[in-house]
Amino acid sequence: MRWLPLSALAGVLVATWASPCVAMDDPDEPAAGTLVRFFTGSDHVTVRSLVGDYTFDGPRDLSLSIHYNNERVTIPAIAAPVGSAEAVDAITTASRPIAGNAYQDFSKVRNEFQGELTHGHFGADYYVSSESDYLGQEVSASYNRDLEGQQLNLAFGTSYGWDAIDPVADDDTHTGNSTKTTLHWDAVATRVVTPTAMVRVGVEYNVVDGLQHNPYRNVYAGGTNVPERHPDHRARRDAFVKFNQYLRNRSSLKLTYRYYNDDWGIGSHEIGSRLSQYITHGVFAQYQYRYYTQTAADFYRAVYATTAGVNGYLTGDYRMAALSSHLFGIALDFDLGTMAAESAWLHRLRARMSYDRYFNSNNYSANILETGVDFRF
Amino acid sequence: MSPATPTRVRALARRALLAGGLLLALAASGCATVPVYQREHVTDRIMSFNAQARLDMRLMKSFDAREGSTGGTGGAGGGCACK
Repeated sequence: MRWLPLSALAGVLVATWASPCVAMDDPDEPAAGTLVRFFTGSDHVTVRSLVGDYTFDGPRDLSLSIHYNNERVTIPAIAAPVGSAEAVDAITTASRPIAGNAYQDFSKVRNEFQGELTHGHFGADYYVSSESDYLGQEVSASYNRDLEGQQLNLAFGTSYGWDAIDPVADDDTHTGNSTKTTLHWDAVATRVVTPTAMVRVGVEYNVVDGLQHNPYRNVYAGGTNVPERHPDHRARRDAFVKFNQYLRNRSSLKLTYRYYNDDWGIGSHEIGSRLSQYITHGVFAQYQYRYYTQTAADFYRAVYATTAGVNGYLTGDYRMAALSSHLFGIALDFDLGTMAAESAWLHRLRARMSYDRYFNSNNYSANILETGVDFRF
Repeated sequence: MSPATPTRVRALARRALLAGGLLLALAASGCATVPVYQREHVTDRIMSFNAQARLDMRLMKSFDAREGSTGGTGGAGGGCACK
């Protein structure tokens, strides 16, 4: 579980690179992009993200993508009764350690870096995410190929992730260092079905081993507080279908459905829709709605009669309960290349603003605000 | 909760492969040929699956923190150690 130094990785990637940024073949991939994101939950957890994405085309069909994300997470002072669910990190679900003065906000910084090298049909990827009590790393490989005159694309991917979890000092839980590994496979097919419609179908399979509960969280059971305990093994799989239809009046409708289940007993359905409408040349608005529902894990109980829980497992994690959620979103996308084609550099810019409102049956809601700019070389 | 035995894992893997094969077969068959010169609309940005891939990944990470499932963003790898 050694940390691969970012500088060494960056050196290797840069050393393999021969030419600076050049025009890109794929209009879907910005050459350079930056983004600011704010996430605020009704439990007053906030996450501020500063994201950078850079893509360089190289010789011999090589392409390098670099992704960077700096996040500051603020979890409010503990004000919940003993044994109740605490506010948690809105991205990683980690709750704050309770040590010293728990009646003041707890802040931490997370940095993530991802480098992806693609050559022809093949891709290789390294990802690292680092914070004070968690280090996640992942390597992945992918292959995709166009068939039937570029009407069909088949993609296959696999990845292996290994996380080192090192809980900081805490007054009421005593979890030592732990690890978690994730093995992932996916297969995805994308097809043009008519001159105005495309479909994508895929399956994904994940096997997770290691610590999968919150090392800081206690569960109220049998009249006392005991540390949360989840199984160490989890097999997770899902299948999805996405359908994109171009409509009259320069608009499109995207529909998605996903079914998921795992061997902890959770089964879920997700449906989503996105309507995109050009307002004027180069500007489109997007409206989004998503509905999600899931069943509870086998070992989830609202109240545990004894400290033995269910087969030795106890959870205070709301994600293990039955729940449903809704998401509404609106976005504006500006392609300045179309709006200001005569400008020397404005025509290389694309800007996007979005707002999403999420709420679920656990009486939780969140606001997500994003604004970003892409620059095409 | 059922224990994860090797037999159970193999059965799950077989089911996943079967589901994958069926889905890929569905995607690969039964559609008329659409020549390149008729693909103006499907190549429009508002029709792209990939244009918002990173947005979808960020949303998925937020959903992962509040819901018990994951996935659905498609594509290979993706570099999200939270899967």
